[in-house]
Amino acid sequence: MSLLKPFKLIGIAHRSGVVTVRYPFQPPLVTPEFRGRIRIDASKCIGCGACVNACPSNALTLVDDGERRVLNYFIGRCIYCGRCADVCPVGAITISREFELATDNIGDLNSRVIHYKATCSCCGEETTATERMISYVVSRVPVTETYVHMGSRCRKRRFIEGLMMGRGMVYGESER
Amino acid sequence: MENRRDNLLEALKAIRRSIWVFHLNTGSCNACDIEILDVLTPYFDVERFGIKLVASPRHADLVLMTGPVTRKTLPKVVNALKAVPRPRLVLAIGACAVGGGIWHDSYSVSGGVEGLKKVLEENGVEIDKLVYVPGCPARPEAIIYGVAVLLGIAKPKVKEEVVEVK
Repeated sequence: MSLLKPFKLIGIAHRSGVVTVRYPFQPPLVTPEFRGRIRIDASKCIGCGACVNACPSNALTLVDDGERRVLNYFIGRCIYCGRCADVCPVGAITISREFELATDNIGDLNSRVIHYKATCSCCGEETTATERMISYVVSRVPVTETYVHMGSRCRKRRFIEGLMMGRGMVYGESER
Repeated sequence: MENRRDNLLEALKAIRRSIWVFHLNTGSCNACDIEILDVLTPYFDVERFGIKLVASPRHADLVLMTGPVTRKTLPKVVNALKAVPRPRLVLAIGACAVGGGIWHDSYSVSGGVEGLKKVLEENGVEIDKLVYVPGCPARPEAIIYGVAVLLGIAKPKVKEEVVEVK
């Protein structure tokens, strides 16, 4: 019986067939629901930072660097949850199905979108918003057009001036 | 710099035959570990490339590192990597090992390989080649691809992308 065992095993192996996938020589099995790295469409991104708030692992970070506002996506920390794509108000983030991301240089894992901040229409200083954010807000709520182009300081000053005018003071007195 | 690269190439030339891997869990959630096991099963069957799992770091060419390197495992990780013979090759698998993952700013982890590198430098342990395999968890195919990148068979597909919006 023990002598016949190898032949028995050959029979069993023949019946079950080959299960091994020929991975490097055949495309990997990727289902349509699979979530890989995200792609940020820079032509649509408005730099609002909604994705940064939603990101559980801080793979997406928004850094204000002088007049620039940098949205950095570090693939190495991403957990591919897809929340950023859900919350993006303009649909700039798409979930791709790329997963072969191995690299020997960690700098390759970063991708950046650099925005420039808009300047205040009143004093010329840079505001906290980008030009695209402002046009997005105006398109959604047209009434904001009267003050959205100003920086926060000018907006505050104008509000105080408005109050003072209402109470019968002379225009421009608040600057003293 | 040039000399260092030559050393690296020499080190890689030393691996002409099958590479033996050692699986090092540094406090991961076991998702990446299951993917590594999947690579070793007959479904992906990496033994057809000569990749074989060994039980001791002293027998290993390549360390498959998963997890964010917690404080508790840090001394053990340093000891295990010290025991690996040169050339010392490391594959950092998963989001935790690459950049600290979801625990990157936690007090109890050293932030994956990047934090570990500093500790290794202090202890005089040098890593000859390090390849990052992002993924949460990394797919089995991605791990095989990472090994291919490490051995110089495949070229990395990802590139740093910088786009300026005017």
